[in-house]
Amino acid sequence: MSQLQVKVASIQDVSAGVRHFTLVDAHGGELPAFSGGSHIVVTMPAPGRTYRNAYSLLSSPEDRAHYEIAVHRQPQSRGGSIYMHEEVKVGSVLDISYPVNLFALSRVAKHHLLIAGGIGITPFMAQIHDLERLGGDYSLHYGFRSREHAAFADALKGRVSQRAVCYDESLGQRMDFDALLRAQPLGTHVYACGPQGMVEALVSTARALGWPEHHIHSEQFLAPPVGEPFTLKLSKSELEITVQGDMSMLEALEAAGVDAPSLCRGGACGRCELEVLGTDGELQHHDHYLSDADKASGRKIMPCVSRAKCGYLELNL
Amino acid sequence: MERGYWIRSKPVYTALLWNDKATAHAVLAAGDGGLAVLKLFQQALPEQPITVFYSPAGADKDYLPALQAAVDADLRVFATTAELLAAWADYLATARMGLRIYTAGTEKFMWDVTDAAADFGILNQDVMKELTGSLARSVYCVHCKSLTHEVTSNIATCSGCGRQLFVRDHFSRRMGAYMGLMVDAENPGEVPQIEEIYP
Ligand code: FES
Repeated sequence: MSQLQVKVASIQDVSAGVRHFTLVDAHGGELPAFSGGSHIVVTMPAPGRTYRNAYSLLSSPEDRAHYEIAVHRQPQSRGGSIYMHEEVKVGSVLDISYPVNLFALSRVAKHHLLIAGGIGITPFMAQIHDLERLGGDYSLHYGFRSREHAAFADALKGRVSQRAVCYDESLGQRMDFDALLRAQPLGTHVYACGPQGMVEALVSTARALGWPEHHIHSEQFLAPPVGEPFTLKLSKSELEITVQGDMSMLEALEAAGVDAPSLCRGGACGRCELEVLGTDGELQHHDHYLSDADKASGRKIMPCVSRAKCGYLELNL
Repeated sequence: MERGYWIRSKPVYTALLWNDKATAHAVLAAGDGGLAVLKLFQQALPEQPITVFYSPAGADKDYLPALQAAVDADLRVFATTAELLAAWADYLATARMGLRIYTAGTEKFMWDVTDAAADFGILNQDVMKELTGSLARSVYCVHCKSLTHEVTSNIATCSGCGRQLFVRDHFSRRMGAYMGLMVDAENPGEVPQIEEIYP
């Protein structure tokens, strides 16, 4: 993965548990261009192990001097978000990947319906910059647990109040997906980012109402679930690698110096797919990428989020 | 017609089938497309509202009485396909997501319907199509760019430049027509036998 070096220029707490980082090029240059919806993968060299987490860019894509990300401190974090909150200071230098967009706005949409839940607001912050600049027709619906969890709600109010609707769950305000989706004009594309339950409910409601598949876009960054340790056997390189309980297979491969490709690190893009040759246990699939048939076949696995309950798992790698 | 290999751009048409994941249904047919609508209404009807746009223009048979009897939905009848297409454009302007679109008739008619929907962000693949009646093709001349309609043979005379055109299976969705290439470009005067192959 090609890397950029950035320096933390400022840090701000924007809502309960959400810290906002402004990054600049470590060598004082311009940062690569990106489009709204892109994310970067931040490498976090914690003592004893390296974390890599994907974060959406929320700054204006026109601003080549800064990147901004927001990191939600995950209570059950395996360490990545805690590292960002506790170890990273103003002036820290971080390795990040080039921006990748797996959540791009459609170019043919007549209307964009943006649905955000909690920290899922971040990709939309950058997309709104693009939509405002290009004069795109859109509306944003943003739900959060309570006012103190409402990251960027005030910024949105100032910038795009007539296009944004906020839902404060603590006041009993909830989005009605069915009514919202039924009311959309022909040619609308819907984009959802937020907690798994919210995204799944939105996607299944849209499908049930007859929305064509390519009008439905969603993004969730799944954290790799914790499990039990097991051993990876790599048939080509003849390596044996232990995957610790709090590590993903991908992280274990990377830590062992194996060149394993990845993009989203959240089970969505398909880039990290590996071929399974055998196991003495069972695969635990957690991705959104493989079809049910692929999952059942036991021949494929997405190591960024999936693991196995087994003694060993043999990979064609 | 070219045989022996498959040309991707030749569109595929199926039989119309209700898609019950929807908020509404629009059925658009012209001429012999009326028969496809009758078959569609023999299937179990979906729960959502249905609007049928029909123009008898170009039909071999009079399907209108049968349609009026069978179609238990909002049936709108137009004397010409031009009037139908104008009403379709108005309908699209106020339609909501979840609309399922079905069309039947000649190739030209179905692509006119699909083009109008494309202006509202609907992809060709989301318009269900059933080709009825004649297999006649519209042909565009790659030399003078004119369109020649109702071509039923493998070789046609271009309505624009008068060249003899070989009708290929290469279909332009934008023009709703098949590509026509001058048949005797290499050896002037050598025109293969003309056969009626799109009856
Ligand atoms: S890296 Fe995208 S699915 Fe694993």
